[in-house]
Amino acid sequence: MTAIPLNHVLILACILFSIGFIGVIIRKNTLFILMSLEIMLNAVGVAFIGAGSVWQQADGQIMFILILSLAAAEVAIGLALLIRMQRRYQSLDIDKLSEMRG
Amino acid sequence: MPTEMAAAPLLSNVQFTNAMLLAISPQLIVAFGIVLSLLLIAWKRSRRMLQGLTSAIFIVALIASVPLLFNNEIPVTILLKVDGYGVFAFMLVCFSGLMVTLLSGQLLQRNTEAHDEYYLLLQLVILGGGVLVVSDHFASLFLGFELLSLALVGMVGFFREGKHAVETAFKYLILSATASSFMLLGIAFIYSQTGSLHFSLINTGVNGADQLGAELTNTFHALGMLLFFAGMAFKLSLVPFHFWTPDVYQGAPTPVTMLMATVSKVAMFTVLMKCLFSQGVFVQSHMMQLMALVAILSMVFGNVLALKQENLKRLLGYSSIAHMGYLLIVLLITSMQDINFAWQSALFYLSAYVLASLSIFMVLIFTTQEALLPGQSQQQAEDDTTIGSWQGLFWRKPMMAFLAILAVLSLAGIPLSMGFIAKFYLLTFASQAGLWWLIAALVVGSGIGLFYYLRIIFSLFAAPFSEQKAEQKVQQQAVSSDGTGQVQASGNWPWKGVLVTGFVFAGLVFGLYPDVLMQVISRLGELTEPLAVLDQTP
Repeated sequence: MTAIPLNHVLILACILFSIGFIGVIIRKNTLFILMSLEIMLNAVGVAFIGAGSVWQQADGQIMFILILSLAAAEVAIGLALLIRMQRRYQSLDIDKLSEMRG
Repeated sequence: MPTEMAAAPLLSNVQFTNAMLLAISPQLIVAFGIVLSLLLIAWKRSRRMLQGLTSAIFIVALIASVPLLFNNEIPVTILLKVDGYGVFAFMLVCFSGLMVTLLSGQLLQRNTEAHDEYYLLLQLVILGGGVLVVSDHFASLFLGFELLSLALVGMVGFFREGKHAVETAFKYLILSATASSFMLLGIAFIYSQTGSLHFSLINTGVNGADQLGAELTNTFHALGMLLFFAGMAFKLSLVPFHFWTPDVYQGAPTPVTMLMATVSKVAMFTVLMKCLFSQGVFVQSHMMQLMALVAILSMVFGNVLALKQENLKRLLGYSSIAHMGYLLIVLLITSMQDINFAWQSALFYLSAYVLASLSIFMVLIFTTQEALLPGQSQQQAEDDTTIGSWQGLFWRKPMMAFLAILAVLSLAGIPLSMGFIAKFYLLTFASQAGLWWLIAALVVGSGIGLFYYLRIIFSLFAAPFSEQKAEQKVQQQAVSSDGTGQVQASGNWPWKGVLVTGFVFAGLVFGLYPDVLMQVISRLGELTEPLAVLDQTP
């Protein structure tokens, strides 16, 4: 099997990360924002796995497992807030939230 | 291949010696305390008991860290490294945690629901901070970072009926998650180029020192450092990444804002410093120029934007942006010899900043509680904490106003306050390193800062606010049947007096005799030799 060059993996991670980041910025629906956050975290996971395989170490994969648990925790909090928001504003639009100015 | 070389130190470090356990005992105490608190909740749901237990845990952790202050640095596995600076930073974190615990009692009292989780989250934040300040590995940095941020999100949105609770918590969650993704991507890039998640590149055994020069020119490594710094800058609310700060500061309950302003900043800055110094960032001129730019922008923008703020919490949020900008100066070291001085200046500045922030938020909490009308909710009152609400405080509560004045003077950096000495160290540092642009920005920033800091002080001395409002308040109190809220509010009165007097005393002592603290901090530097390994570089 021919090895995939590290730079390709990192560039893929960059592209995925940008997609996620753009999603966070331009999406209005909070559910999609949370999903975009997941994409960003998983892009990081790709980069870690790729780097770990290049260096032949388990470190990259361990970091990925840590990232997975972070993603789970973050989404749990995010969804809890989402439910609060739906109850309160009857909407998931992020713009409805902006009340503070200055 | 590097496999064997990397695996060997890992296996040999797995055993814990007594010295290692002792070195991380403060963190272990807090971690154990969390379990103990859970058991206490399972046994009896009493808010007051849990508050007592939480404060006891923080006090024990503080006492346990005192003997560690002057120890030599001890690596605890490859993940953590306990040194004097880290322990000192942990003591700051723990002390802030203790103050937040003591001040949160009344806030929770006013809300009818059971609020045991609040203290658990608080302890988790402190544990996260504790892990951060002693971490020496990107994995432990990541764990500490997330422990701190996720628990803070919980605390920010804790009073879910509050006007801004959902908005603030959501903003904070999304921005902090984005920040941690940036940081993680940065770590992944650094790891992909260096093959090590350890902070210091040299003692990993994977990379020889000869490779270091080659790596620093590598695009992905540079990008990694940049992303890592961006992630941390989010948390420190430095200028291009500061948008969340005022909103979250305003929307969060005041004790939580206090926690964010102290614990989060101290822990993040300590770990950023540790990491950047170990990574030898000062060799990379691009990174240094970028950090200098961020520092200048933060100083100027933070102060300018604070000018037109009426809400005290927002104002403090902007002022914290400026303060982190000032502090960034110490990261711009030019050689290894400066590291000790950089640490000392930073820790002194952080102590001054923490003391001043704790004082000013304490006054804020006490005054909001007093100004509370019976029908008004806590959160509603907190949203209205404008500068105007402090008008004439000096004539009503001289001691509290005095504390506020001390804190504001310290934040502004007026002579004979702790903040002045701290700023003086920064200036000395900057002039030694020849960072003239930063000095200019620091002076201009502090000058602008005086406008809004002095506005607070003038307001404290102004004539008491309109009699009409006071009368209205008295009437409403009379109407509310024998003032149950009032009885509760005066319940903790002796505590208040002790705390306020203690902080006034501390502010005066450290302001007039900064040597007391400086000697402690400089002794930390004598005994720890940070990065002795790096000195061997050719």
